[in-house]
Amino acid sequence: MISAPRTATDRTKLPYCHESFHNLQELRHSASLANKVFIQRDYTDGTICKFQTKFPSELDSRIERTLFEDTVKTLNNYYAEAEKIGGQSYLEGCLACLTVYLIFLCIETRYEKVLKKISRYIQEQNEKIYAPRGLLITDPLERGMRVIEISVYEDRGSSGSSSGSSTTSSSGR
Amino acid sequence: MRRSSAYIPVSTAAALLVSSSTLFFVFTCPWLAENVSLSFPPCVGIVFLFAVANFTMATFMDAGVFPRADDDEDKDEDVRAPLYRTVEVRGVQVRMKWCSSCHFYRPPRCSHCSVCDHCVEDFDHHCPWVNNCIGRRNYRFFFLFLLSLSLHMAGVFSGGLLYVLDHLEDLWELHAAVTLAVMSVSGLFFIPVLGLACFHLVLVARGRTTNEQVTGKFQGGVNPFTRGCRLNLQFVLFSPIMPRYTGKLSDRVPVPVHPPFHHPESQTLTPVKSSENCVPSQTPPVKSLEVVDDPDSKHRTSPPPLPPKPDPVLLKNHLAALEESLLQSRAVMPSGHKTNPLQTSKSPTKVLYQVPRDQIGTRISPLVPQEHASDPSLLQSENPENSLTLNSRSLSLKHSQRRVAETPGPSASVLISRSGSLSYDSLLRPAERLGSQTPFLPMDSSLSRGPGCNCSPVFMNISRHSPQHREPSPVCYDSLAKPLMSSIQERREPDEKDRPLAPNSGIYDIPSRRSLPHDFRGPSSRGPTPPAYGSREFLLSSAAYGYGSRSHLSSSSSSSLTRTPRAASSPLHFNRSLSPSFYHSLDRHSQQFPSALPSSSYGHQKALAFIRGEERPEPEL
Repeated sequence: MISAPRTATDRTKLPYCHESFHNLQELRHSASLANKVFIQRDYTDGTICKFQTKFPSELDSRIERTLFEDTVKTLNNYYAEAEKIGGQSYLEGCLACLTVYLIFLCIETRYEKVLKKISRYIQEQNEKIYAPRGLLITDPLERGMRVIEISVYEDRGSSGSSSGSSTTSSSGR
Repeated sequence: MRRSSAYIPVSTAAALLVSSSTLFFVFTCPWLAENVSLSFPPCVGIVFLFAVANFTMATFMDAGVFPRADDDEDKDEDVRAPLYRTVEVRGVQVRMKWCSSCHFYRPPRCSHCSVCDHCVEDFDHHCPWVNNCIGRRNYRFFFLFLLSLSLHMAGVFSGGLLYVLDHLEDLWELHAAVTLAVMSVSGLFFIPVLGLACFHLVLVARGRTTNEQVTGKFQGGVNPFTRGCRLNLQFVLFSPIMPRYTGKLSDRVPVPVHPPFHHPESQTLTPVKSSENCVPSQTPPVKSLEVVDDPDSKHRTSPPPLPPKPDPVLLKNHLAALEESLLQSRAVMPSGHKTNPLQTSKSPTKVLYQVPRDQIGTRISPLVPQEHASDPSLLQSENPENSLTLNSRSLSLKHSQRRVAETPGPSASVLISRSGSLSYDSLLRPAERLGSQTPFLPMDSSLSRGPGCNCSPVFMNISRHSPQHREPSPVCYDSLAKPLMSSIQERREPDEKDRPLAPNSGIYDIPSRRSLPHDFRGPSSRGPTPPAYGSREFLLSSAAYGYGSRSHLSSSSSSSLTRTPRAASSPLHFNRSLSPSFYHSLDRHSQQFPSALPSSSYGHQKALAFIRGEERPEPEL
């Protein structure tokens, strides 16, 4: 068993790898943005914040349908919870009026709390599910809640600059 | 920047309000407190305070401004897309207009404010008295301001009247004169303000915005946004206030994206056929991995009815096997790095959108931990961000696993199969691209999914065109052994031959946006009379009918921006050569798009309709 070299200079001493690491820069950037898929809003129920759960075909080969739909449905549920007009929103409204809206300087509204939850959820989804599949979800808040932007990355490690290195190594086999 | 003259009305309004009320409190209220009621001045004071607060909120609160769309979102929209996109809201067709300044289709009820030069959600109007747009977020403050101001004016006027009536004999005295002046100001503005307050009261009750009322949008028709009088009022006053869209982004921990990427296995595990001369012993572990990898996608793969199906699996297994053999023959670390390129894209600022600029430098650091893959403690010390540590550590674990194992462990094989599948994908797609010369691309993979499929044919096709921007196939071939290359090439030729023979049960090839020839573009799709060459669905129909239909593209479930090269315009050329009857059926099919709901059932119906080739009545546009 060969122990892996720890530094780049050490690795250059390995056979066939002088081609591999001739440009660490290229290897570093070998996952590149290929495409962006936009999940649009679903306006069938009015202007409430809801995204379409229809599975985009561009993601067909990248992620399982159920995972994607679960993500979008969970996001929709979060937004529905945030926009719910109920006891807490009444309380917030009345309190705001009574305190001449100074309350907004002190406490966080429920919507803001839910948005933070959403942000954490998206972060977690990205880490666990989407980044391993070469996808990244952008929080829709950054796009004005109009779209969910999913960035699709492709692996350039199997093509482009590092293909030369595989050639040398395969020829040296 | 607004002109300085824009600040005149708001400063006038503010000055008048504050000064008049102050004078009232100073000169009139003492007498009123003594002679009318002690509680009268405090009530007026509270109402005044409320009015000022609402005025301040209406003035300074963001109305719900949409941030401008990135270039990526509108890359294809800008030139070729139609001016309007129709969406169905509670059964009513609502048009979303393309905003040329903000580069997106305006959501329903959104409008672009020319004074402020941005799109505002639920745009009501631009109020010069507060020098701000009134939109979703601050409409309630504006509404309450109007109500409270009306009440305040009424209170001031009546208080002043009481004073004046009691001091008729000495109207030139200071207090009386001031009260008279305040009365006249409040009386003068009371009528318009009350009128406006009543107008907005009616609007709120009907669930309309000023914009909609003034432009007469729902004059004859149904307003899909109304919820009923009580609920409308409740919505305006008590709905939660949304945070700003254009505010500063909170510091988010960026999530790095490391290849190789896990792909769901979408092919069925048909037994690998004859020519597995290369490495027959390697295929069983790969197959079992494919099972483990993605059981979810198995339900998607019905038995493939068409000949090309087994070949991709064959190719894939070959590639996977080859990669395994390559891995076995080399030292682990270099091979690992080949199949596991280290970091993310070339433009770090673009890759991780949430990253504030100052964090860009820190993302280089994960590279260092990955070089010291065997030492997780180094990761911890060098990497303050937990998610990066998590990812690099997981990779380091993979590295160490491969180091330890004599034969490639499951994770390594998974990686190999992933990279194999990746190179296979990029191999296959150039083949598809060549195959797209024919007018009919086999939509077999979408059809074979049957009722479960809810991808509209349009997007299936676009997905097929999407990877066209990638490196052409020769680059991929370099990484493979020559015998495999030749066998792949041999197998590709029958693939290409098979394609034109694929069942053309009414499936038409809609080229992606980018693949449209340039001469198809009008001078501007955003001119005053937009030429009708629609977007994807309507392109061919307008070719046939000469810009007949100009609008009403249904909102797509995902308007993906395929970056296909402009040179790939062959599909449309082929389509043009088709018979007029083909165009006719296309147009009939395509015109059904506007009325369809952007829901999953829609795509499903379309797919079935294409399969059955059934005729559908043309909708009312």
